[in-house]
Amino acid sequence: MDKKDYDVIIVGAGPAGSTLARICAQGGLDVAVFDKRKAIGNPVRCGEGLGSREVIEQGLEVPKWAISTDVKGAKVIAPNGKELIWESKETNGWILERKLFDSWLAQLAVAKGAEIHVNNRVVDVIRENGKLKGVKVKNGASSDISEYSAKMIISAEGMESLTARRMGFPTVHRLYDVDTCYQYEMQPYNHQNLIELYFGNKVAPRGYVWIFPKANKRANVGIGIGAHLETSIKQSNVKGADPKPYLDEFIKNNKELKDASTLMDFGGVISVCEPIGKFTMDNAMVIGTAAKQVDPIHGGGIALAMESGALAGSAILDAVKNNDFSEGFLFNAYEKPWRATAGSKMGKRLLLRKVMEKLDDDDLNHIFGTINQEDLAEIVGKNKFAEAAAKVLVGRPQLLKVLGALMG
Amino acid sequence: MIMIDHEGCIKCVGCSSVCPRNAIEYIGERMATFPDLCIDCGLCIKACPANVIELFPKVKDISQLPPAARKRYNV
Repeated sequence: MDKKDYDVIIVGAGPAGSTLARICAQGGLDVAVFDKRKAIGNPVRCGEGLGSREVIEQGLEVPKWAISTDVKGAKVIAPNGKELIWESKETNGWILERKLFDSWLAQLAVAKGAEIHVNNRVVDVIRENGKLKGVKVKNGASSDISEYSAKMIISAEGMESLTARRMGFPTVHRLYDVDTCYQYEMQPYNHQNLIELYFGNKVAPRGYVWIFPKANKRANVGIGIGAHLETSIKQSNVKGADPKPYLDEFIKNNKELKDASTLMDFGGVISVCEPIGKFTMDNAMVIGTAAKQVDPIHGGGIALAMESGALAGSAILDAVKNNDFSEGFLFNAYEKPWRATAGSKMGKRLLLRKVMEKLDDDDLNHIFGTINQEDLAEIVGKNKFAEAAAKVLVGRPQLLKVLGALMG
Repeated sequence: MIMIDHEGCIKCVGCSSVCPRNAIEYIGERMATFPDLCIDCGLCIKACPANVIELFPKVKDISQLPPAARKRYNV
């Protein structure tokens, strides 16, 4: 790799970085993506769910080999066991084979002319007279550190986001802002191509258990709970949230899963908070999970990452055209439209998450007992909450207090 | 400082994401720690879904670890 100067350097070859790389390369820019991992998408740290809408909007067609199975709808289960099902004939999304999906997005970027370099860790940023100029990169195979310069440097690093921090973006999470999660890939599980979500403060405090269907009667069975909770004593007598015992208890009580095999055992931490306060500065942007652009209800980050990558991509093409890489220009071209669209949706969903975390199991049972499958279709299918919320509040007006406290 | 049981670690970088001092980073396919930066706050332990992080308050160097811990972590 002799080339040292690029138009755009992207840190991280996940869905956000590869989408951005594709769009910039397609626009004729010189793009390099550095990823510290030896293989794109590995290790998988994900429930692997993705809605179809965002992908279709980008004019992409996910190849069959990157999809484990189609998702037809969702089933939510109240603490008292009552089930609500929303199902449609069309495919609403997929459970991916995430490693293959990330690799596919990277391949699309390379096909458009972007360079991707795995096993290359960005160790620091380079400034000249205070101005961001480039990055220092350590190749995993050697001890040498190489320097690369670019007009734009973009952090698309996901949860770790250390380059973003080095650039000065406030990406550290508070415990309250994350869910700590555990997941098993299990087999056999006779699913109906529905996403299943189990609620209840005994099942998963400030979170839920999910069962995501996969091919060959497999399923991702996972749990997320608020990381600020103190559910048990962890290492070194530190009290903290421990998701695995809750998940094991759930599986023990599930007729089908209790005898199923575990094919994969892993965990992770998911951002469920507001995005960071600032995505842009001179010559730099943060996109995707690194900017905490993650759905605060379901913890999904792929769709938001791709959306953000696409928006940031067109912003950079504009910036190049105008030869203006200032924070002001990038704010208007990327951050402002993001906050007006995806950000506004995310804000509503964050409020809903905050309402949900105030509910006890009786409240949840009441809600699930009041709304019907049509209401659920409105909520899940169209993201419309008003009617269902009104019905719920008529029967349980004390819930208004929860809303009031939040609006406060 | 903290010690990580690398065998049990699932490399989710949850610890990095909550570390206020950038003292944990995924390097060379495992989580690396920087004891000089660590302030013994324990937030990483709370966030860790795999329960593989152990805290040794006020220890700044591997040589100061209790012998049992050095043996356990093979350092």
